[in-house]
Amino acid sequence: MIGMEFFLVFAAILFAIGLYGILSSKRGLVTLMSIELMLNAANINFITFASYSGNAAGQVFVIMTIAVAAAEVAVGIALMLNAYKINKTTEVDELSTMRW
Amino acid sequence: MDVPILSLLVLLPLIGAVLTLFMGGARTKYAKVVAAVFTAAALVLSLYVMFMPSGDLANLTENYTWIESAGIKMSIIFGIDGLSILMVFLTALLMFLVVVFSWNEEDRPNYFHALLLAMEVGLMGVYMAQDYFLFYIMWEVTLIPMFFLISWYGGPRRHYSAIKFFIYTHVASLIMLIGIFGLVFGTSGGDFAFAAVANAGGLSEAMQIFLFGLLFFGFAVKMPVPPFHTWLPDAHVEAPTAGSVLLAGVMLKMGSYGIIRVCLDADIFALAMPVWQPVMIGLGIFAMVYGVYACIAQNDLKKMVAYSSISHMGMVLVGMGCMSEIGIEFAIFQMFAHGLISAALFMVCGLAGHNFGTRDMRLLGGMAGKAPRFALFMMIAFMASLGLPGLMGFIAEFGLLYGLWEYLASVDLMPIILLGLLYMLLTAGYYIWAMQKTLFGKLTDKIDLEHAHDIGNIECVVLAVLAVLIALFGILPGLATDYIMPFVSSIVNAGGLLI
Amino acid sequence: MIGFVDYAWLVPLVPALCFVIVGLIGHKTPEKGGYIAIFGALFAFVMSALVAYDYYTSEAYKLGEAVIIGPIEWLNIGGYTVNFGVYIDSLACIMMLFASFISTMIFVYSIGYMGDQGEKKRRYYAEVSLFLTGMLGLAVSSNFLEMFVFWEVMGLCSYLLIGFWSYTHHEGDAASINAASAAKKAFLVTRAGDVCLMAGLFVLLYAFGSMDYATVFANAQQVYAQDPTLVNIGILLMFGGVIGKSAQFPLHDWLPDAMAGPTTVSALIHAATMVKAGVYLVARSYPLFVTSSDAMLFVAAIGGITAIYTASMALNNMNIKRVLAYSTLSQLGYMILALGAGAYLISMGMDMGGETGQTLITLGTMGYAAGILHMINHAFFKALLFLCSGSVIHATGTEDMRKMGGLRKTMPITAYTMLVGSLSIAGIPILSGFWSKDLVLEAAFAPFDNGLGAGSAFCILFILGMITAFMTAFYMFRMWFLTFTGEPRGHCHGESPKTMTVPLMILGVFAAFIGLIVLADFSYFIIQSLAPGLADALAANGLYLGFHDSMHILEEIFTNVWTYVAIVLAVVGIFIAYRMYVKRPYVAEDFDQTKKGFLYRLVANRYYFPQLYNQISWKLGYGVAKGVDIFDRNVIDGTVNGLSNAVVGSGEGLGQAQTGYVRDYAAYVVVGVLVIIAVVLLMVSYGGGF
Repeated sequence: MIGMEFFLVFAAILFAIGLYGILSSKRGLVTLMSIELMLNAANINFITFASYSGNAAGQVFVIMTIAVAAAEVAVGIALMLNAYKINKTTEVDELSTMRW
Repeated sequence: MDVPILSLLVLLPLIGAVLTLFMGGARTKYAKVVAAVFTAAALVLSLYVMFMPSGDLANLTENYTWIESAGIKMSIIFGIDGLSILMVFLTALLMFLVVVFSWNEEDRPNYFHALLLAMEVGLMGVYMAQDYFLFYIMWEVTLIPMFFLISWYGGPRRHYSAIKFFIYTHVASLIMLIGIFGLVFGTSGGDFAFAAVANAGGLSEAMQIFLFGLLFFGFAVKMPVPPFHTWLPDAHVEAPTAGSVLLAGVMLKMGSYGIIRVCLDADIFALAMPVWQPVMIGLGIFAMVYGVYACIAQNDLKKMVAYSSISHMGMVLVGMGCMSEIGIEFAIFQMFAHGLISAALFMVCGLAGHNFGTRDMRLLGGMAGKAPRFALFMMIAFMASLGLPGLMGFIAEFGLLYGLWEYLASVDLMPIILLGLLYMLLTAGYYIWAMQKTLFGKLTDKIDLEHAHDIGNIECVVLAVLAVLIALFGILPGLATDYIMPFVSSIVNAGGLLI
Repeated sequence: MIGFVDYAWLVPLVPALCFVIVGLIGHKTPEKGGYIAIFGALFAFVMSALVAYDYYTSEAYKLGEAVIIGPIEWLNIGGYTVNFGVYIDSLACIMMLFASFISTMIFVYSIGYMGDQGEKKRRYYAEVSLFLTGMLGLAVSSNFLEMFVFWEVMGLCSYLLIGFWSYTHHEGDAASINAASAAKKAFLVTRAGDVCLMAGLFVLLYAFGSMDYATVFANAQQVYAQDPTLVNIGILLMFGGVIGKSAQFPLHDWLPDAMAGPTTVSALIHAATMVKAGVYLVARSYPLFVTSSDAMLFVAAIGGITAIYTASMALNNMNIKRVLAYSTLSQLGYMILALGAGAYLISMGMDMGGETGQTLITLGTMGYAAGILHMINHAFFKALLFLCSGSVIHATGTEDMRKMGGLRKTMPITAYTMLVGSLSIAGIPILSGFWSKDLVLEAAFAPFDNGLGAGSAFCILFILGMITAFMTAFYMFRMWFLTFTGEPRGHCHGESPKTMTVPLMILGVFAAFIGLIVLADFSYFIIQSLAPGLADALAANGLYLGFHDSMHILEEIFTNVWTYVAIVLAVVGIFIAYRMYVKRPYVAEDFDQTKKGFLYRLVANRYYFPQLYNQISWKLGYGVAKGVDIFDRNVIDGTVNGLSNAVVGSGEGLGQAQTGYVRDYAAYVVVGVLVIIAVVLLMVSYGGGF
């Protein structure tokens, strides 16, 4: 059987990539995708622990997360589309009307 | 009882608030009708409860479990007794009168009436809640509509006043919340019901004194007790008339209601009460005298009346501080009396600003000839407030000062009663002086007399209703004390009082 | 058998209903409710006459008991119950009778006097009805709190009526302001007394556990024995209320100012209601007051000082109503002096016991009767005098006597009825004032005569009373001569209408002869009102309520040398006034008040008392208030605003960290998480866990 650490390291790498994406990219869509990566990293962790400890609660959470993530992406992309319509850009730094 | 009357008292205004809120556009002009119908329904309901045989009141209690998990139990419990019933009636009555009084409100009437009805939800909840968490939620619910009433419909400095009001009372309620948590987890260990907390009891003396302090602070700011009072004059001066009436008439009573309900519960605070007693009496006397002197210095009628509320609520604090049968009885009577009287006072002052264009006494003068109805109601309201026999204020002041006298005699500090007498004399002084400056003497030429007009018919009827009630309860105080006495003797029988 | 006594509650109730009716629909009735008010007063008079007769013939009167009708529970004060009831004894009957009778006369007179007031009459008749209600309610009250309620109702009415012209005065703005300020002063000064009375009631309730007359009187001696200091304080506080209401020194100054109201109102305040309430309270509380001889010495002293002090201010006043006002003050001083001296005598008599004690008690009851008799007589002649002055003012349009003169020819009825009143108040034999004034002075002299402890003090008070008698005769006739004799100095449009002169004539007859009731053993009727409260306490010491019958009184009066001294003094006073104001031709410069000596100006300026009041109220009231206001706005609000500024300022500083870039926030989160992880790791590895 494959050890738990493989999955965890994989999830950590995925999370780090996502984090890097958020911190470095100015583009809104990339940010959204990076968030998605981080969410999935968390999902993998959930499933890993669930499967190794034999507790189904983790899998339940994953399903919930996926549902929420789907909704979140829908909202996020809709926001981006609208932002693009109005400002002709998806660069998050440019969307500063609400800033102090 | 199958019909959940007490829930209805809360739900009716809630439904009304939602309905009026959505009456924008062409339907705006019906908002006031809807508000009047719902407040009238609540008033009728409260009257029905009032005229029920007192033995049946306990049967009205409603108990729904709301959250029960992890050892915490929060319930929706509505109950009613001699103390609550008067406050509920006062709330329902003033709400209805205020809605009628604001009949000619032109500025976004749907929001205005929705806010008023939302206030009623919170106030009814506070006065009927029998669960600490529900009590706290309802307490906060009253805050928000009042904030918007001031900041949307208020005078020129409304934003400053609204925020000051909000922050002041909100900080106080947070401290009160800490007190409630300490109280609940220290006694029943998580059941927020009043009864559960009281039955469990068993706080140590130090804990009692500390928690009493936290709760008392929360309530005292609401009353308000100097030096935590400065939100009140600002809020009153800027609030629209309806807001001022409710603020003085029923919101301030939440503070004193809380003290009687929670702090004076001997099952919980038997050891803390004697410790805090001198503080309460001292603060109360200070509030009375300080408020009176502050009144004398004011030029704005409404601000003067606002400070007079502080000094009258100081009397309530004194009565509660006596912790005797007489003290509590007349503290409650004064709460009720001040509710009606201050409503009339603020309506009159609001009308002065509205009809004459100014509330500044230096600019007014000789208005009795110009506006006789105004003069009549101003005189009735002022005379009631200064404690003229035959009107409600006198009964309350006589009883409270006698309660104070008994307390002072028991601790051998009788000369302090002189401060009470000074209070009575100076109260008469500033009211009479204000009337002289406003109503009598030379007819002023400093205001726009062309547009100055007397009270309209609607306002006249509202004020007349208040005046009749003030006189009725003043001539037949038994109508109110019949509700108060059983309540007071019930807490006396519980061993709750010191004297 | 149910008699009229059982319906005594109708006496105050009907005027109260008249108040409501006139107040609501008065403007739709003829004379704006004037006739309704007259009906109320007349009904009250007839009813009180029936009640008085019924009581007089009843068994209770003979046994020396009061009739107490249906106390209904009014208010629960903690464990105590306060009732509302009717308490009828001879004192209550007397008060009801003369208050309602004189009010009826005044109301009838008002039809003429206030005839030109238009819409304002409705307010006038409503308020005077309420005023009468207050007085009658006070008279029949069965406990102190009930009495206090009516006491304050009268305070309100006096405020409203004195300020009747406090806006849109027909003489212009200055008069309006003056009226408003007089009303304010009346209310606040009497209020100062009222709060004292209220504190007195606290003491009573605390000491006796009840405020019913019956209970308080029955236990007075016993409670006094237990705690004399407390009862003394209570009595003095209650007397504080009397000082305010009956305008005794030092709270006397509101009454002269109260002349700003209509003259009928002045008549009502001075003769029938208001100021008589204070005297009534002293008389009513007699069984309580006699417990403390020290307090009674104080009461008598206040009365004596007021009598002479206020009479002196009438000596050079030019305002016809003011002169009468000062004379009221002075006569009230007489009443209080007599009541105080009487109570002092009874008190000493009860302490001594035995034969001497009984003599003192009999003298004391005479003092009591003298005070009450003087109150009755004063009510009649003062009502007459005020209504006469009202008639004069109505005809001349001025209150300044320098602008009158020679009115005897144009207004004969007014002139001669006023002469009757003046003779009566001056104490000319067989007229009313003579009898009661003599008895008052005799009562004041008695403690000295019998060599009691405070005798010398009473001797001084007696001498003050004598001088006052002289002053009274002088200033009354100064007023009469200035007004009615000599050459006319102003215009006058003839005698007043019938509605005004008929009441004058009726009152004139009464003012002349009402005092003769003393010869019909009336003092027994008066003294019998002490029996319910005092007889038992006296009997316990082997004493009884003695009284002088009318033969004895006649003998006392006419064998006493002081009586003749007093008569001579009065005649001399009248003669001096005659020499000064009739014999000498009128010279305007003589009346220029600014060119007089210090003493003249001191008196004319009322001993600078109004200024003292102003200073006190300014310093104690407004000065402190300004200080509080500044403290409130700067210190308390300053602290609050300072705190909020500090919070807002630091918030704004921190706000700079909010760049608005998502990446920056994410970076903060990452850094924060790393820091927390580092801390946790450090704690686990070095601290050995949490």
